[in-house]
Amino acid sequence: MSDKPENFSGPGDFIDLLERSGYSWPKAIAGLTAIDKASVPQGTTVMAFHFKDGVIVAGDRRATAGNAIMYERCDKVIPIDDFSLMAIAGVPATAFEMARILSHNFEYYRRSQLQPLSTEGKIRALSKLLKDNMGLAMQGVGAVSPIFASYDQREAKPYIYFYDILGAQFEIQTHTATGSGSPVIRGILEYEDLWGAQKLGQRTLKEAAQLAIRLLQTAGQFDSATGQGRPEDKIYPVIASITDQGYRFMPEEELAVLFQESTKRK
Amino acid sequence: MFDEPFRWMEAISTRHSYVQEKLKKGQPVLAVPYKEGALVMGFAAQPGKIFEVYDRIALGSLGHPADVERLRMTLLDMAHLEGFNRSEKDVTLARLLQFGIAPAMKQNFEEVMRAPYLVKLLFAEIDFDNRPSFFRLNYDGHWEMFKKGAVISGNDKESEWIQKQIEQTDFASLSLKQALKEACRLWEEGKKQGSPESEDSDEQPTTLAEAFDRWTLEAALLSTATERRALYRVVTPDEIEPLKSAAK
Repeated sequence: MSDKPENFSGPGDFIDLLERSGYSWPKAIAGLTAIDKASVPQGTTVMAFHFKDGVIVAGDRRATAGNAIMYERCDKVIPIDDFSLMAIAGVPATAFEMARILSHNFEYYRRSQLQPLSTEGKIRALSKLLKDNMGLAMQGVGAVSPIFASYDQREAKPYIYFYDILGAQFEIQTHTATGSGSPVIRGILEYEDLWGAQKLGQRTLKEAAQLAIRLLQTAGQFDSATGQGRPEDKIYPVIASITDQGYRFMPEEELAVLFQESTKRK
Repeated sequence: MFDEPFRWMEAISTRHSYVQEKLKKGQPVLAVPYKEGALVMGFAAQPGKIFEVYDRIALGSLGHPADVERLRMTLLDMAHLEGFNRSEKDVTLARLLQFGIAPAMKQNFEEVMRAPYLVKLLFAEIDFDNRPSFFRLNYDGHWEMFKKGAVISGNDKESEWIQKQIEQTDFASLSLKQALKEACRLWEEGKKQGSPESEDSDEQPTTLAEAFDRWTLEAALLSTATERRALYRVVTPDEIEPLKSAAK
């Protein structure tokens, strides 16, 4: 009989609870040598950058499988808790499952331990999920490359982290983007931050949201896997922010006006 | 020892008396509706009476802290597993009680060689149509549902009186400030109504002024006035301060 208390492996750990209930994260599929990646839907372009009051997290809405457009209303920015968002690029099936696990993990910890999980703990939790997913990621059927953004209430400071598909985490001081359209917009973000009218971190929410809309439209121009906004069908990019008040998704009515303003030619 | 029905019934009766005696000093916890949701409140010498269970479920408790903790964790585990495996919309108090915790508590209570749970639990829930409902769970697994609010207390006289008042008060039309004030008034009046039964009334606060002076008012809301998925929030010291000042 073990001397360890029942919950030694992690008090308040929802993943531990899940495993005790019989759940297990899928491992690499034995004997699977190759898969037609074109048959697996993929997420495309998401980004995050600091603005004056916090961080902005944005993404296009398209999901593709190879050359096929599978879905034009995919939400790739997912709320995890009141102060955290995850933006996903990669295989939605894996990414959505990770987001669901993380969301329950953070809420379960907060409720059971009567205090929120630290920002470091949140960052580590996503890294662990990605490491556990290494088998599927290497087989090419479950690769996810997320961005995690959170507001640390204790430090009164927002954070952005970028992850590679194996779980390495990198803190981002200014801006980051991931997905197939990201090379297009990373260069513009860097340019805007260094030589734009204002540094990214000094911009208002409206200015930041406007930039995000323009960047995603630009990415959509050069990358077929990134969907441009289609106001006639009420398809707009997802624009969310995190401040000391928590996360907020820009509502459709607000987005419709801002989209028109942002995409108007000069 | 319990092979005759009479012996078993006697043992159960003794067990009821034992638990009731242990819970006698349990302070009232009230759960009532208000204009924007549900309020749970109670005074406590030690914080740890009111908790969040899930997005739309709050728990109030009295009794032995270790037993409260064990049942709270059981509820958290059940709710979060159900929310993850199915949907947060499938996490309802009626299901958690009827198919989860109540049968287990009944079994525990009737196994007379095991230590019984020394608890009374009170729940508030806001459904997906934003309607509140209230539940009371006894140490023996018996549970009841209320529409207008509910109370638990170690003192039966006190809880019966407060429950009657809750039924007669239109809490659902009150603002948070008014509902808090009215709930505090019922708490204080309930103390007066229940005082003859209490032998140690001189040791415990019986007025709001004494309660604020010696104890902490714990209060939490399930507020529909939020865009967040989780409706639970703790009532802030700023929201409690006017009550404290008025009680002096």
